Amino acid sequence: MIRTRALSGGVHLDDRKISSGKPVEFAGIPPEIVLFMSQHTGAPAKPVVKAGDHVLAGQVVGEAQSFVSASVHASTSGTVKAVEDRYHPILAKPSTAVVIEPDGKGEIWEGVAPGSDDISTLSPEDIIKIARNAGLVGLGGAAFPTAVKLSPPKDKPIDVYLLNGAECEPYLTCDARLMVEEADEIVFGFTAMMKAVGAPRGIVCIEDNKPEAIMAMEKAISGKPGIELCVLKTRYPQGGEKQLIQVVLGREVPPPPGLPFDVGVVVSNVGTAYSLAKALRTGMPLVDRVVTVTGAVGSPSNFRVLLGTQVSFLIEKAGGYTGEPGKVIMGGPMMGVSLPRTDVPVLKGTTGIVVMTKDEVNLDKPLPCIRCGRCVDSCPLRLLPVWIAAYSDRGMYEEAEKYRALDCCECGVCAYRCPSRRPLVQSVRLAKQAIMEERRARAQKVSG
Amino acid sequence: MKRSVFYDFIKGFIEENPTFRLVIGMCPTLAVTTSVVNGFWMGLSVIFVLVFANVFVSLLRKVTPDEIRLPVFVILIATPVVIVELVMKAYLPAMYEILGIFVPLIVVNCIIIARAEAFAFKHPVLNSFADGLGIGSGFTANLILISAIREFLGTGQITVGSFRFPQAPLFEPAAVMLTPPGGFICLGLLMAILNVLLARRERKMKAQAV
Amino acid sequence: MTERLVVSPSPHWKTDKTVSGLMLDVVVALMPAVLASVVFFGWRALTIILTSVSSAVISEAVYEKAVKREVTIKDYSAVITGILLAMNMPPGVPLWMPAIGSAFAIVVAKQIFGGLGYNFVNPALAGRAFLMAAWPLHMTRDWLAPGFFGGVDATSSATPLAVLKGAPGGTLPGIWDMLLGNRAGCLGETSVIAILMGGIYLIWKEVIDPRIPLGFIGTVFVLTWVFGKPGALFQGNAIYHILSGGLFLGAFFMATDYVTSPVTSKGRLLMGIGCGVITVLIRLWGGYPEGVSYSILLMNLVTPLIDRAMVPRYYGWKHEARKEKTL
Repeated sequence: MIRTRALSGGVHLDDRKISSGKPVEFAGIPPEIVLFMSQHTGAPAKPVVKAGDHVLAGQVVGEAQSFVSASVHASTSGTVKAVEDRYHPILAKPSTAVVIEPDGKGEIWEGVAPGSDDISTLSPEDIIKIARNAGLVGLGGAAFPTAVKLSPPKDKPIDVYLLNGAECEPYLTCDARLMVEEADEIVFGFTAMMKAVGAPRGIVCIEDNKPEAIMAMEKAISGKPGIELCVLKTRYPQGGEKQLIQVVLGREVPPPPGLPFDVGVVVSNVGTAYSLAKALRTGMPLVDRVVTVTGAVGSPSNFRVLLGTQVSFLIEKAGGYTGEPGKVIMGGPMMGVSLPRTDVPVLKGTTGIVVMTKDEVNLDKPLPCIRCGRCVDSCPLRLLPVWIAAYSDRGMYEEAEKYRALDCCECGVCAYRCPSRRPLVQSVRLAKQAIMEERRARAQKVSG
Repeated sequence: MKRSVFYDFIKGFIEENPTFRLVIGMCPTLAVTTSVVNGFWMGLSVIFVLVFANVFVSLLRKVTPDEIRLPVFVILIATPVVIVELVMKAYLPAMYEILGIFVPLIVVNCIIIARAEAFAFKHPVLNSFADGLGIGSGFTANLILISAIREFLGTGQITVGSFRFPQAPLFEPAAVMLTPPGGFICLGLLMAILNVLLARRERKMKAQAV
Repeated sequence: MTERLVVSPSPHWKTDKTVSGLMLDVVVALMPAVLASVVFFGWRALTIILTSVSSAVISEAVYEKAVKREVTIKDYSAVITGILLAMNMPPGVPLWMPAIGSAFAIVVAKQIFGGLGYNFVNPALAGRAFLMAAWPLHMTRDWLAPGFFGGVDATSSATPLAVLKGAPGGTLPGIWDMLLGNRAGCLGETSVIAILMGGIYLIWKEVIDPRIPLGFIGTVFVLTWVFGKPGALFQGNAIYHILSGGLFLGAFFMATDYVTSPVTSKGRLLMGIGCGVITVLIRLWGGYPEGVSYSILLMNLVTPLIDRAMVPRYYGWKHEARKEKTL
């Protein structure tokens, strides 16, 4: 049994996992697939198909151009309608996308070749290569290219690999369902990940509000040497990489640009492990993922969704809106992005679609800060959001930087707990942007 | 553009009000404004010193070398201060007892040195005379205003010699108004009100100009 | 595509604890003490409280209307200021005193600095300090002996603190009378049990941080125990010291005022301890019998400094510090 440490700050949220009992169903082939070239952290991929081309499921349509990047694959067979700019839900601006009109056959590309069921025959390099070719990224939300994560610097030995099944965001159940239904596959992928980074010890971390998932995973890891289970007390934002490392291992990742590597840890999401397992066994790249469609919809569900499927299609599949929709959130209610429109596609990092009714949307006007200190008490990074936001609101970004604005992970606990309803995260985000711009300008001056 | 002598006189009341706008001469303002009589005599002494100093600084401005102008100012200011002190000691010994140290301290009162440096040293005699009279009168008006408020609230009535208004206090006087904190509160509030009024006037003038 | 969607930055959830909700919790927590004051000092206590509250609320509304600010009386903060100020007055004061005190507290100590969130000292305590300086006799002489529901004895009576300090002709009430509130003192400070009920409610509702009251009361207890008896160490009457005066009221309801106390937990502990030290200094060696209100006012003033100094160790900061050292 692993003795867990207390999370700094955080908050206990009403988890509203209303879709946790729903088995994962295939959402179906939508009338249109939109594949953005930028679905991950790092450089966008370069489109390698053109309008009129016929593509098959698993075929590369966008090629990674640099180390920190990921390829994009056609999620089903069909004809490329266009390579054009579409509204990107996360970047909130037009971005290059390959638009495919599916033919409904779902034919598989000949490049997709079944792989190995035996990890011992694969070298770490093989595993990394498979992850890279599969365009695999972290499916927990940040979409960091998995191949990069699996290649830690040689001088930083990894002693623990954490498999993140905490899923601390309210509403979302995609990871929980995956663990219930595909525990063995997840453990298979996890074993490969551990091998890739040379980690002797693996820990599966699950919050205690998912008893079914805990049971399934416990069964799946029994008899697997080096893999342990760690059950965590439910608390937001425990599923954050840094928070998980703190709670499970008692280690603290150095502030940016520090990475989990620096304390000998790698963290991956259970969904990533599952997709890696699939890529290892069948050779199928990342073309689908589990998405929870929940909130004010007819029947909250967990879908296996082809990447590029439109949000409106999924909402329709889940029984449509109940009541007047106020907000449609891509991701969870704490860190997700609210969408201005629903004709945007599911990306690799899309964990869920949460619909809020008009009445649930909080439109309270921010009041002056009363210095109650709740944001300070609840910041998981022990920052002082009250000062960062105050300096940011006054345009004093240098002062905000002194209070470590750049460390902020934007988990949103401070703004959630603020009784004055101040948009603290937004203020910190503005400060971060301004500080980064300033740094870039300075770097340019030095180099120029 | 030749400055109007009248403007130099009148500006001391509002635009360049020493206490509320320039925020100088705070020591006597806070220390002696516990009664109207004190405020009045203090103000009168400052008017006399200010006019005397301004006129002589202005008269001698052409022959005063820049490098030693401060010692010259000090002499020109100290002279009337000593006159005031001696006269007061001789004819108003009771008042001298109350104002005490603040009369000789007029020598280092910022208002006087500031007017000498900023105005009289650069302007003709007549303007300097008007400036001294205006700023001094403005200062006196402030002292009387503040001390009237403080005396009224702090003792319940205003006493000038044997004249009392109202005859008996209408309410239980608030002793705090006679203490330094009361002085600060009173001064702060008056300054705030004046600034609000001036800001409003400025806005109106701007609106008219547009 | 007919839906009209709201777009806003994350998080999309907000707690339902709002400013006015928190303030209402404080009002609720003050009710036992209000009730106790009525029980021991009669309906007169209620008229003082009501006068104080209405004056506070009216001044806030009038001032905000006058300067064309949004009227914020609905957030209950003026109500709290009014109740707290009334709680800090001897039961025998004339009614115009709470009225003037509340108006001063709201207009001068709070609104002039920008309203709720911008005041640098606790408005109620500023109001009390003003009244104390303006009409010291009323604030230090108008004590009444407690009676049960209006059976108030009109003769003035020495407070336990004055007795502790050696006031002539006074005897200390029994410990139960101290706890229940059956003793001379300000309206709201006498019944320790009633205040404690409110305080525990606030801690349970997570409205206040227990570090401030515990640090405050604990420091007073230890220091008065050690130094309480002149000429001898460790023999002070610490129990009476913490039960008398406005210590509990101040520690639970005034030192914990959000706006004027530090934001970090370390800072709050320091705030409590600082208040305790200053209170004991004033009580044992100062000129006044009671020092709670001045100690809180003084700590209010250094709160910005505490906030600057008491910065928590940021996550991962250890490593960063080491790196900076090697540079």
